[in-house]
Amino acid sequence: MEANKTNSIYDDRSFKDRHSFLLFITGSILVSTVIVVISMTMYNGSGAAQLDLSRPGYVSVRSQAIEGESDFQSYSSVGTMDKEAIDSFKKLFDKQSKKLKAVDAFGGSPSPLSPVSLGIDDQTAL
Amino acid sequence: MTIFKKLTVISLLSAILLSLIFIASARAVSSNVTDQQIQRIRENCLSAKATLKQLHASDALLRVNRGQIYESISIKLMSKFNGRVANNGLDNSTFVSVTNRYNLALDDFRSHYIKYEEHLSAAIAVDCLKQPVSFYDAVSVANSDRIKVHSDITKLNQAIDQYRSSLTQFENNLLADKESN
Repeated sequence: MEANKTNSIYDDRSFKDRHSFLLFITGSILVSTVIVVISMTMYNGSGAAQLDLSRPGYVSVRSQAIEGESDFQSYSSVGTMDKEAIDSFKKLFDKQSKKLKAVDAFGGSPSPLSPVSLGIDDQTAL
Repeated sequence: MTIFKKLTVISLLSAILLSLIFIASARAVSSNVTDQQIQRIRENCLSAKATLKQLHASDALLRVNRGQIYESISIKLMSKFNGRVANNGLDNSTFVSVTNRYNLALDDFRSHYIKYEEHLSAAIAVDCLKQPVSFYDAVSVANSDRIKVHSDITKLNQAIDQYRSSLTQFENNLLADKESN
């Protein structure tokens, strides 16, 4: 009689009450999966993935990345505008533009991705 | 089985069949790869993959280092100088116009580089021994994306040159005004 009463009480408990821990774990995994998916989408979509040199494929070049911009001096937006101020700006501007023009970035002839460069084709280029 | 169910099944099968035909024809149109090229892709598969991986890494470094300089030129030099010119009550419209063009080119560079990197990564992931045609197509897409990135770099450099020549013009005008006063 007593055993039947206990079983009856146990059966009366809802599914939620009987499996609360399992539901908690499942819910936690689902929430964390959703958060990871959102963050990975943001990471890939924002362009951060392309700037992240800590990725495995970039080990060989990681050390060559310029850390900070110690040699990039900012120009003051406050002050008089005379020959001295313009010369000072020219000096800063020319220094950086010279760096940029030193190498034809993302160029190359033939392109490094052309079939000729990759040894796929002898003459024609993509 | 009712006529309605039979019709549904037939329609679904037809749709699948048509889709497969379209996909096959699209692939055939997109790939103008000769048998000789397929053979060469298979022969040079390993070296081509190594080249792509090396390019992927070196371009990433270029993107990071060059990107920093291009961004800083806009924020730390151009915008600041434009502000200083305006603060002195002088006309900065030419500088602002060039800066806007520069910033647009910089936005294009950022977005085109994302696409290029994604497509290059996709090309690296293709098995060139088993899927030489897909590999050729993927590399072709990445190549055209890289050309776009290069075009953005050219536009940025042109804007820098325009800004510099505007600066010379501005300096000459300023000195001429001071002399006349």
